[in-house]
Amino acid sequence: MTLESAPCGDPVVIETSDLASIWVRRLAELGLRIGTVVVPLHRTAGGGRVVGVGDARVAVAGAALRRISVRPDAA
Amino acid sequence: MSRGLRAPTASVASCHGDQWQPVPTGGRVIALVGSPNVGKSTLFNALTGARRSVGNWPGTTVEVGRGPWAVPGAGTVALVDLPGAYSLDPISPDEALTRALLVEVPPEERPDLVVVVVSAADLGRSLYLVSQVREYGLPFVVALTMIDVARRRGLVLDVDTLSRRLGAPVAELAPRRRGGADALAGAVSQALDADRARAVTAVLGEVPPTDPEDDLVAAERRFAWVSAVVSASVRRDPGGRAAISDRIDRVVTSPVIGPLLFLGVMWLVFQLTTTVAAPVQQGLGDLVSGPVTDAVTTLLRWCGAGSGWLRGLLVDGLVNGVGMVLTFVPLMAIMFALLALLEDSGYLARAAVVTDRLMRTVGLPGRAFLPLIVGFGCNVPAISATRVLPDARHRLMTALLVPFTSCSARLTVYVLVASTFFGSSAGDVVFLMYVVSVLLVVLGGLLLRSTLLRAFGDEPLVLDLPRYQAPVPRLLLVATWTRLAAFLRTAGGVIVLTVTAVWLLSAVPVSSVSGSFAHVPVRDSAFGAAASLAAPVFDPAGFGDWHAAGALLVGGVAKEAVVSSWAQTYAAQEPGDLHDPGALGTALRSDFARSSGGHSGPAALAFLVFLLAYTPCLATITAQLREIGLRWTLVGMAGQLGVAWVLAVLVFQVGRWLA
Repeated sequence: MTLESAPCGDPVVIETSDLASIWVRRLAELGLRIGTVVVPLHRTAGGGRVVGVGDARVAVAGAALRRISVRPDAA
Repeated sequence: MSRGLRAPTASVASCHGDQWQPVPTGGRVIALVGSPNVGKSTLFNALTGARRSVGNWPGTTVEVGRGPWAVPGAGTVALVDLPGAYSLDPISPDEALTRALLVEVPPEERPDLVVVVVSAADLGRSLYLVSQVREYGLPFVVALTMIDVARRRGLVLDVDTLSRRLGAPVAELAPRRRGGADALAGAVSQALDADRARAVTAVLGEVPPTDPEDDLVAAERRFAWVSAVVSASVRRDPGGRAAISDRIDRVVTSPVIGPLLFLGVMWLVFQLTTTVAAPVQQGLGDLVSGPVTDAVTTLLRWCGAGSGWLRGLLVDGLVNGVGMVLTFVPLMAIMFALLALLEDSGYLARAAVVTDRLMRTVGLPGRAFLPLIVGFGCNVPAISATRVLPDARHRLMTALLVPFTSCSARLTVYVLVASTFFGSSAGDVVFLMYVVSVLLVVLGGLLLRSTLLRAFGDEPLVLDLPRYQAPVPRLLLVATWTRLAAFLRTAGGVIVLTVTAVWLLSAVPVSSVSGSFAHVPVRDSAFGAAASLAAPVFDPAGFGDWHAAGALLVGGVAKEAVVSSWAQTYAAQEPGDLHDPGALGTALRSDFARSSGGHSGPAALAFLVFLLAYTPCLATITAQLREIGLRWTLVGMAGQLGVAWVLAVLVFQVGRWLA
């Protein structure tokens, strides 16, 4: 599943991302790195989502969310 | 970008706004860097006492602030507030400038010391930049902010361990409460005293990679280092992020309530910058045109110059110009205070999320909505409001589009012309002007996106949402005053000089038989001659008459003066009620009928469209000069004039054909 389709409030682990490398790095700088546990929170106007990364919150557009694959966090 | 913070010649170191003075030889420079939302600018103001000179870096539209900082033991140093950056791998011109001034300039032009501002509440995120500063061997000190927020989140920091792992001094700060500045000054003083050769050296021990693949590998290595530092120096107590923040976000950014709330906030901003500012502006205008003018006139009379050219120059030129600048003060103060409030509270980032998708259709991020909305009140604060946009390219594009938003000053002309020519349909015509205004912004954005400013708006929205916080009145006042003072310094002089120049033109007779200096009918003055010269340009649009051309020339200085200019050139009473133009309306109907060959309606409509699209006013131009520089201001003016003329001709010719 993708970060766009993941259920709200359930922690997921980022597996892959096929965004351009510049955006992969920017997301990583904001904490959304491969292997990181994040929590997809509520949906926003415009089709995006607020994603929880630890205590921080990052708004990500739907187009980017659809290109980030995630799996449920087993822990 | 090859010139550093201590550029040796003033010619390359001038800003578009305030003059950027190079640091004198031997003067010490400290660069303040950090990612957005860590309190960097607040810290800068606290350290420099808000004695901030702000300007665009030479050759760019990127803003850099500088101010003196008295460091006990080290004297006064130049503190430079570099644009916010998450890392030294830039994705915007602002971030590119930060990288350039830190690592791409020759070593002798680099800062003596870098103060990296790091948020204790998001340590992992902030330390990536620190890892790169270390990697490049730049001497640095860490300023740790938001410790109170970290504590509330249950994070306990071991500052000694953090300092040891970073290999640099760490000073705990509370810039919003003015705390910790002494500790930072002490750390900076010690660091400056240390031999630069003993500065922190690269922990990774490798030259930073240039290949993109290597770059990602290096990034992973840095992240691993950051994780190790965070694990060693941060302990989490039970508890967590205040759930209330997420609950607020759920409402503020939601698909339905979010846009409605945003529109409500924008309505409030619009009202405050127009309705609330208007009576204060009126009062200041009356003060200048009444008591101040009377006082100057009385003084001149005592000196025996009560009615000559000197009175005209001082009263109608200089005093009038100063009055125009003063009337902008309440408007700009309210605008800057609101900007500071929206930014400081954390709402602006949420507003950007809500409007992002809509604005991206014209190649702009969501935040651009704010200046564009404000533009419908007044273009001048709207141009200044482009500073809410973190990307210099977006600021440039928005500043080029703002003049197409129909400000309230244009409304007075719409009402007069529409009432004169369209009777009971006047309201529809005025509404049409606002529709045209919105269309011009949208089409202008699409055009810019596909021509001059390609590849905008393709990047996905990835936006850090800062925590909500209660604004501190003292910080709001400092931010408002800093911006207001900078506006008055740069725009004030230009406005006064231009208003004086317009008066001079209208005072100079074109021939000796027309009259003497300052005692000449408008038509026989240099101004009248210029209007007559320009009039034929408007023949294809149906209003090729010197009265109309003269009104448009005056309108280029201030749209508020268009109606009074007509009243003066027609020697008619300025109508008290714009819906009932009286003798002025009769004169306008007569001249428009003559210049348009009997097609007054299309000619009047063409005039309104031209008035909407061409140069808004002198104050807007000066604001643009300050924000985007001379070259882009001239490009914008040429574009506005071109669009205005083509549209006006199109409207008249099609209207005449349909009639």
